[in-house]
Amino acid sequence: MENSLLDSGLLRRLEQLQMVARRVAKSSLRGERRSRARGHSVEFADFRNYVSGDDLRYLDWSLYGRLDRLFIRLYEEERELPVTLFLDSSESMAFGTPSKFDFARQITAAVAHVALSGFDRVSVRSFPMLEANRVRYAALRSVRGRQSSLGLFEQLTHLVPGASADLNEELRRGAIETRQVGLAVVVSDFLDESGYEDGLKALLSRGFQVMVVQVLSPEELNPSVFGDLKFVDAETGAAREVTFGKFRLSRYQASTAAYIQQLADFCRARGVGFWSVSSDCSIEDLLLKQMKEGDLWR
Amino acid sequence: MSFLSASALWFALTIPVVILFYLLKRRRKVHLVPSTVLWQRFLTDSQANAPFQKLRRNLLLFLQILVLLLAVFALARPFFSDQLTGGALQVLVIDSSASMQSTDVAPTRFAAAQTKALELVDALRDSDQMVIVVAGAQTAVVQSPTSEKAVLRRAIRSIEVTDGPTEMMEALELSKNLVKDHPSSEVHLLTDGAVSDLGDLDQSELALSYHQVGERGNNVGLVSMDVRPNPEDPTTRAIFSNVVNFSTNSFRFVAQLKLDDRMVDSRVVSLEGGGSRSLAFIASQRTNGVFSLLLDVDDDLGVDNEVRVISLLPQPAKGLLYSSGNRFLEKALRSAGDLELAVTDDIGFSSDEFDIVFLDNLQPLEWPESNLMAINLVHSNWFGTWETVEAPTIVDWKSAHPLLRFVTFDDVEIAESYNVRSPFWGESLVESAQSPLVIAGEQGGQRRLWIGFDTIRSTWPLRVSFPMFMANAVQWLNPSLAKSEELNVQTGKPIQVVIESAEESLSVVGPDGAEEEIEYQSESRNFVYGNTLRRGLYQVRAGSEAFQFAANLLNAAESDTSPRAQLSLDGGQQVEATLGARADLEIWRWIAMVALVVLMVEWWYFHRRTV
Repeated sequence: MENSLLDSGLLRRLEQLQMVARRVAKSSLRGERRSRARGHSVEFADFRNYVSGDDLRYLDWSLYGRLDRLFIRLYEEERELPVTLFLDSSESMAFGTPSKFDFARQITAAVAHVALSGFDRVSVRSFPMLEANRVRYAALRSVRGRQSSLGLFEQLTHLVPGASADLNEELRRGAIETRQVGLAVVVSDFLDESGYEDGLKALLSRGFQVMVVQVLSPEELNPSVFGDLKFVDAETGAAREVTFGKFRLSRYQASTAAYIQQLADFCRARGVGFWSVSSDCSIEDLLLKQMKEGDLWR
Repeated sequence: MSFLSASALWFALTIPVVILFYLLKRRRKVHLVPSTVLWQRFLTDSQANAPFQKLRRNLLLFLQILVLLLAVFALARPFFSDQLTGGALQVLVIDSSASMQSTDVAPTRFAAAQTKALELVDALRDSDQMVIVVAGAQTAVVQSPTSEKAVLRRAIRSIEVTDGPTEMMEALELSKNLVKDHPSSEVHLLTDGAVSDLGDLDQSELALSYHQVGERGNNVGLVSMDVRPNPEDPTTRAIFSNVVNFSTNSFRFVAQLKLDDRMVDSRVVSLEGGGSRSLAFIASQRTNGVFSLLLDVDDDLGVDNEVRVISLLPQPAKGLLYSSGNRFLEKALRSAGDLELAVTDDIGFSSDEFDIVFLDNLQPLEWPESNLMAINLVHSNWFGTWETVEAPTIVDWKSAHPLLRFVTFDDVEIAESYNVRSPFWGESLVESAQSPLVIAGEQGGQRRLWIGFDTIRSTWPLRVSFPMFMANAVQWLNPSLAKSEELNVQTGKPIQVVIESAEESLSVVGPDGAEEEIEYQSESRNFVYGNTLRRGLYQVRAGSEAFQFAANLLNAAESDTSPRAQLSLDGGQQVEATLGARADLEIWRWIAMVALVVLMVEWWYFHRRTV
């Protein structure tokens, strides 16, 4: 499996992982995940009284022999877990060395690969809508099957970041538009002036199990530009005049840490999985250690 | 508080310029960032946390205005009028003698003294005045009292070091006179301490600070040199000289004797620390010439390593002895050499064709105009009044004088002597408790030697010293030899010779090639020239006539360059070398210093906020 996003060694290790879905799958399509629906798997679930019209094949004859009553054996219906990945591809993600967007793409690809390997359905929602990416959108929706990974990766590779995004709006629309509610993984820098709370709440109230990965660049965590500066926002074009020097670096770092903590607290309060990473940290560490410990998969 | 230059307050008008600059929009570096969310939060956080936020924003402006105000304040030179007591007078005495040329302090001691002097000028209070006195062979006031520091600095820089000795006594006496009427005064002495006797000075009313220059005394020097006819072979010349090592190191060097730049003799000399050595050379000389003795030694002071002595060939003199018969004297004179002696007892003798006349106990009708030795005679023009003394005891004689070379007066007894007072032209060479016994001097261009007792009625002729003295006297009175001596002077001492010239002016070319025109009174036939501050040969031209004379340091006190921490004065008083200089009381320096500190704080703050 050759692709530019994740190396094959990492992919092989990812294939051994299994998504932990805290909520039972709600998908109507059969898959390999336990569901509340009763069906035809080999896993026994329960007994119930026979009523006329039930399939006689599921009658428990040994119980009938003991109790002289008719019971039907119920089996669990195994269904698929729909995984929706929200990938922020706004202009702000284009920054950083290495680029935040590249890192976010790798995370998206990894989560998608694990899900596809577990015969789950994967949808990648890249926002905002960009003309350049339009042809990719269809191919990123409702992907199924282990062998589809490569195709998905291919499409992800060709995505370009750009334009300004309203995170709240994008998440809310995603919540509404997704027919099968399941796991939602949001990969973004969460640097949006209008905030992120409403969007995440919309996903939760729709019934999604939500995981949040915040990707920031090293330059944002530890700026190295000093002097009398005028910062121009790449998305909105808004300008901030800042006089910045080394002696204020620690204060900046404190304020940034507080911002991340605020997001983390918001997530913890709502049972949302949260990871904040710098785009220069190790992807293996994030995927195989932090996310494993955070019970995204095992 | 008042201001010395209040017009500088106009500089305060520059403050609005600073404010104007501040009002102008600062040019900021534009930087594209992914999002300003974090920066917005940072700004909100830091503004919420920092107190005096408004003030902080303009701290730089306040600091800049403060610096400017302080600078303007300093420029206006404020001072407190109630501190202005009557200005003090400071006398700066700079030693410009030969020893100050020592190179133990780079570049020279004199340059170090000049630097020190400039520091003292810098430290001068504005109300104080300063006089600058140069103490060399001649003492001079180079700058009369003034408070103008620029003038004082120029005067200090204009002083040049000389090859002469120091007349420190004279300089201090002058200083004493300068500060006499000033209630508060100080005398700063900038010298290396290599000065001759200071013993007689009473410095009790003198606030004397001695600023000592010099670090070590590493010097070997010639302290005397003399060219004379060789006593054993009158056709050759004997050159006697004395070399002293004034340092504690031992030296080994070559002494070279040259006659008119031709090498005559050379000798390797080893001198222990503090040691001295007499060097005697014998050389034949056919014409008048210049003997120079050169020490090829690497020491701190070069001035005393070379001596040039002009040596004129002796001309036999014609002498007349007017005596009623004195065998001792006649014999002594005849054996003295270079003298054709005639003896007479004729009262009507004529002295016209004689170079020297010896008068022994006989009063002449007319005192001769030539060089003269008078024994046991008194001349009313010389002494005015006189008495006689029975059996005077000889108590002192000046053995340094050429007449008393190798002469002692031990065991000499005298029956009777005249009791006179030394005339203005003469120097008393031998003295009894009451009166001078031998007087030598020069009067009207002629040498006079007076012996105030009858030699026959004393034990002197029986002593070895008698013929020695007579031989010295014949040499001293011989006009040609006398001239030879006159042509060799110590640096800084005037030369005085008799020359026959009808010219109104003479020209003197010094060792450095500088030519000087001198007015000359032909009727007095006396040539006096005092500007002998450089060692070496001086050429004198008077019309067609020309001669040269030599100036040499030959001064042990100057050659002894070892630094002295104390100057000893009269009655055990001592002046210690001082280190401190007084501070200035004008306060602009302090303000300027504060301004500098504020400027540094401003600079630090400016960088702290952007770097």
